[in-house]
Amino acid sequence: MKVVTGIPVLDDMVEEIPEGKVLTYWIDPEVEGNVFAMQTLFTNLESGCKCAYFTLTLSPEVVLSEFEEFGWVVGSYENFTLVDLYSPYVGMPSTCSLNADPSNRDAVDSLVKKTIRENDLVVIPISSMIDVCGEEVAELLGEWCETAANSGSRLVFTFVSWPYPGNVKKMVANRSNAIVKVGGVHHRVILGYYYGLVKVDWKNIKSRAILFKLVRPGGVRAYIPKILVTGPYNAGKSTFVHAVSTRAISVDRLGTTVALDHGHLEYRGFSIDLFGTPGQERFDPILRMLGKEALGVILVVDSTKPETFPRAKQMLEEVAHFGLPYVVAANKQDLPDALSPEEIRKRMFLPEDVPVIPVSAIKGEGVYRVIDALLELLTGSWQVSGDEFEIPA
Amino acid sequence: MCRILPEVELKKGSNIMVYGPTFSGKSIFVRSLFRDLTSEGYGGIYVLTRDSAESFIEWLGEYYDPEKIKIIDCVTKSMLGNARDTDSIKRETVMDLTGISAKISKFFEEFWRSGVRDVVLVFDSLSTILMYMNLQTVFRFLHILTGRVKMTGAIAFYIVEEGMHDEKTIVTLKQLFSGMIEFKEENGRKYVRFVSPFKKTEWSEIAVDENAVVVV
Repeated sequence: MKVVTGIPVLDDMVEEIPEGKVLTYWIDPEVEGNVFAMQTLFTNLESGCKCAYFTLTLSPEVVLSEFEEFGWVVGSYENFTLVDLYSPYVGMPSTCSLNADPSNRDAVDSLVKKTIRENDLVVIPISSMIDVCGEEVAELLGEWCETAANSGSRLVFTFVSWPYPGNVKKMVANRSNAIVKVGGVHHRVILGYYYGLVKVDWKNIKSRAILFKLVRPGGVRAYIPKILVTGPYNAGKSTFVHAVSTRAISVDRLGTTVALDHGHLEYRGFSIDLFGTPGQERFDPILRMLGKEALGVILVVDSTKPETFPRAKQMLEEVAHFGLPYVVAANKQDLPDALSPEEIRKRMFLPEDVPVIPVSAIKGEGVYRVIDALLELLTGSWQVSGDEFEIPA
Repeated sequence: MCRILPEVELKKGSNIMVYGPTFSGKSIFVRSLFRDLTSEGYGGIYVLTRDSAESFIEWLGEYYDPEKIKIIDCVTKSMLGNARDTDSIKRETVMDLTGISAKISKFFEEFWRSGVRDVVLVFDSLSTILMYMNLQTVFRFLHILTGRVKMTGAIAFYIVEEGMHDEKTIVTLKQLFSGMIEFKEENGRKYVRFVSPFKKTEWSEIAVDENAVVVV
């Protein structure tokens, strides 16, 4: 029986979760990442797999209602088993036939092994287990993985990466055949959410990050990040969008943009949509509308026309309301009277931490440095990296 | 800066423990501060572990504005498994620290994206969480939460019941906070003071009713 993740794009990458393998969703503590495991379980439940789900921090009733919020009525499937480690912990009678007191390590161990042997797919919240049962429970992972390998089952772990000791994180990472990082795009607040494959030992795959939203009902839905390209009239926004994009379109009238530039870019493992706004003030409502959805802003200025800088600042203030990180592209650097990036910073009163990148959009020079700088501002966590894991060679 | 007592102003990014015995007025103090700040334009996030969202809204009365006040109710869901969320009220359970953390973060994002930069967060109370989860787990949770408060420049208050936890727990928790508002009761009179590494006020007598705490 083929077992899949049920997560958009991820299934195209890993194809399936083979027998005996362990896939871990490695979740940022401020992100609702548990839904990934719920979606994996439900997808396979629908295709007839025997699936089990462990709960430690939620009552069985709450677990079922959380599934239902996403439209997944798991309770009506005969091939679904809910294993209750919550009720015995809080001293309530359990409504599930499979239950154990998590303070009894042996009872938990034998219940987990029995469940693995009897199911095709088992979801275990490892970090909750560590929180409730203690860090020593991580030492049992090896035997659970072995039981899965011997019985042809698959394990899905959810691991919320609270600041656990390094050895605990390593133990979980080393026992995982595949790790999917579910993270947040951190700025002052979390501006978006992404997932990406960090490790997989049954396929040779180049990692990429996918932004997602949670839809109720529906679950995990991938979406493409929007970057707003703005700036005064004739600063070169359309030229910039066309220079940096693999495909782009502009709505022009008499040689200037009157609606939107739209460009699409595949870069550093990301699919990015660029939206360029017209520079005239009458189009500012479009700017505000796009600002609500965007993840970052590129402000294009004409380095030869300092008289347009006040308008550039005004446009920046329009989007600053949304608290987005921004980069300034100092365009037309190929022209003889272009001001240097530092001179532009000074004249526009830009803070030191705002990158001002010299660009000649018409020659395609420096345009990717602008994208790099913006991705950098969205912090390292935006990159799917395996730095926090001990990944065996 | 945000004034919380006549002699005390808090900087943005402050995480403050509110500590004292039961019925000493600390919960009313924090609630009324929350009510005042949100009516002055602050965005407010209130995490309830002892009362339902509905009873808190009733207490707020005319001051309740769902645009400005977001509530995380950790009581109702464990009693009524199918309690539904709204845009401004999210239901979690006290043991689901990931759920609480994600919902707080989501509210921070909503305020940020709508241009609200001053936010007050209240955790009422940490003691309930500590009844269910061990200190180490709660410490890890607070490590992330207090970090987020600093990053966003919000101001946060965390209520802790005196007498419910051992010395080690209180000392461990204190490491995470930038200061403490302390309450005490002596001879039927109630007092408050502020303590931080940089400031310590004298005990001030307070009068407490069901709507406010006033320094006498």
